[in-house]
Amino acid sequence: MDLSLTDEQKVRKQEFYDVCKELEKRKPPSFTGFETIYEDDESWKYNLYCAKEFAKRGWLALGWPPEYEGKGDMMDRVLFAEARGYYGIPGVDIFGVQMLAPTLLQAASEEIKRAFLPPIAHGEVMWCELWSEPNAGSDLASLSTTAIKKGDEYIINGQKTWNTGAHRADWGFGVFKTDPAAKKHHNMTFILHDMKTPGITVRPIPYLDGHAPYCEVYFDDVHVPAKNIVGQEHEGWAVVNLLAGFERSGISEIMSMIRGLEQLVTFCNETKRHGQPLAKNPLVRNRLAELACDLEAARALAYRVADLQNRNEMSLMDASAGKIFFSELGERFAFVATDILGPYGQVKTSRWAPLGGVWEKMFHEHFITTVSMGTNEIQRNIIAWYGLGLPRIR
Amino acid sequence: MDLRFTETQEILKKMARDFLTTECPKTLVRKLEQSEKGYSPELWKKMAELGWMGLIIPEEYGGMGYTFQDLVVLLEEIGRNILQGPLIATITSIFPILKAGTEEQKKELLPKIAQGELILTTALLEGDGVFDASGIAVKATPKGNDFIINGTKLFVEMAHVANHILCVTRTKDGTSPEKGITLFIVDSKTPGISCEVMPTTAADKLCEVRFKNVNVPKKNILGKIDEGWPIVEMMLRKGAIAKCAESIGAIETCVEMTVAYSKERVQYERSIGSFQALQHKMADMWMAMETSRYLVYEVAWMESEGLPCAKEASMAKAYVNEVYKNISKWAVRLHGAIATSADHDIPLYYRRSKAADIAFGNTDFHREIVAQKMGLV
Repeated sequence: MDLSLTDEQKVRKQEFYDVCKELEKRKPPSFTGFETIYEDDESWKYNLYCAKEFAKRGWLALGWPPEYEGKGDMMDRVLFAEARGYYGIPGVDIFGVQMLAPTLLQAASEEIKRAFLPPIAHGEVMWCELWSEPNAGSDLASLSTTAIKKGDEYIINGQKTWNTGAHRADWGFGVFKTDPAAKKHHNMTFILHDMKTPGITVRPIPYLDGHAPYCEVYFDDVHVPAKNIVGQEHEGWAVVNLLAGFERSGISEIMSMIRGLEQLVTFCNETKRHGQPLAKNPLVRNRLAELACDLEAARALAYRVADLQNRNEMSLMDASAGKIFFSELGERFAFVATDILGPYGQVKTSRWAPLGGVWEKMFHEHFITTVSMGTNEIQRNIIAWYGLGLPRIR
Repeated sequence: MDLRFTETQEILKKMARDFLTTECPKTLVRKLEQSEKGYSPELWKKMAELGWMGLIIPEEYGGMGYTFQDLVVLLEEIGRNILQGPLIATITSIFPILKAGTEEQKKELLPKIAQGELILTTALLEGDGVFDASGIAVKATPKGNDFIINGTKLFVEMAHVANHILCVTRTKDGTSPEKGITLFIVDSKTPGISCEVMPTTAADKLCEVRFKNVNVPKKNILGKIDEGWPIVEMMLRKGAIAKCAESIGAIETCVEMTVAYSKERVQYERSIGSFQALQHKMADMWMAMETSRYLVYEVAWMESEGLPCAKEASMAKAYVNEVYKNISKWAVRLHGAIATSADHDIPLYYRRSKAADIAFGNTDFHREIVAQKMGLV
């Protein structure tokens, strides 16, 4: 076992931290977390700016093969994610850079790779994911939106929902039923399409805090070139599973919480309650220390996932465990932090809100990680069925 | 970064697992719990032949010269089988000798420990039951070339069979509790020492050790007089990591046994492991095991590399304490009534989880260290 970094890795890590620290200075006040890029125009502009800054350094293609403008390795990607997480910097498109690109590299035709990878690496095209439907959530394979082939086009009809950032995205990747007569899991195709194609209507859905990070998307006779597919026709389910395996190790989110904890410690040291620093309250100390322990455990597991990914030994159950753990830690953290802030824990970003109102924001935002990317209950099924080999009732 | 075990570690792990599977069945564990000694001298001898007591002792003192990380791999296997005996007590007592012992002390004790000829333990806690220096009241007063020790130590693991006791004493009332602490290597046969085994949850032979005018020669001071507390802190840190490693092995067994049983046990015409209420609980148990494991490996690596890790070691201990208690509790719950029987193996683990929790500092003790180290004033 060796957790040390090489000298070269230390240098690159420093560079990632330095650049992110600089970018932090340009944060608009309305940017209070990763999801706000979809909710707020200023934050979205900031996201695009950061993407360009990263792209010009080649950092959106970390770990890609050199023939597609790739640079560095998987470990660089982890270190970069750490730095972005710590300073809370957007600019790495979750859907384009983190999910679609590795999927394309593994499953797409050469033509598709050549067409779609460079704009992702250059930070030019932002993506969204079109999977869930009103009646196909956790049971995604029961989806009903169709893409029927006609000549050299697919014609898409139906509705997708819970599409994060669909109102901002340039392109979308989705799964659609292409062979309605075929068996479940062998009847759908993974299709890429321009979000500006006629017939697409995007409607933002108000989230529980009133903002709109995600949307519902309607398809009404939407014509898409038939060549824009990933994997085999009708075998999109395999691509869906492949993409789901490229889930984040959670290292960005964990580093972001580590920074949040540091800021809370400062707040507790500087804020007096009952005539002494809040930090002297044994209950506060115990609760913050418990979070710190959980965070260190989360970080250790994220490194485990990263280490497996680096060696192409991705374990589905470790990735699921990582996702459950960091997302539920986010919940606990939001509850504890807003508790410690007392009545100020309910104040939205404003002159009254301590720490920029990030914890009030987190009180709402944590559901995005527990519910999306496969609910945590689905992740527990994955661990139980595929990891522990427990029988599945069908 | 590479989180895999080294080849040496893989060999050590396999050897330990094979040995313990054959030599340490649960029938023996139960027998030892009931026995007066609490360990098997025959098994102890065989373990010495495998080099376990001398694993981290440098070769020049008759040991194997392995790293702390290697020790963690071994202890994980010990924990799987919940081997009863003075191994952890002896190994954790080696750390202060390695760190602060004179050449003479090392030459006299370490080769014999490695050979399995000496059992050691450390006497730290007293009536207050706290792990910080404020709890140390046992007094050692100078008299000629000797010191006279008076007072009572509690919760001293395996003291009833130990040849030497590292006794943490107060030699001076200083400005802070940490000042004026001195460690002595005390021969347990010295007149004035009496020992009584306390009845405990895990039947792990924690003892009350009474010192009544016990004469200890000055040359038996371990480290510097009045400046012993940093040695104790180091021992607590390494001991906490070692205990975590042992707990990881035990946690792993609890998860494995529960998953296996849930596949076998049939109710409502299907295995109970097919019910999601149980599946999700087992997924949580597995997840807690994985997070514990990699947290402990990370800290063991830091300790092995000599990196400062007081905060991380406390994080690991505080975390694993809770995980072990909860997983062994859920192991009982998911097995159902069968695991509430004394004949079942799972309760052995459940009872040990409480002992593991307390050893080298419980959760709140370590969380307070974390709170300080993370900068709370």
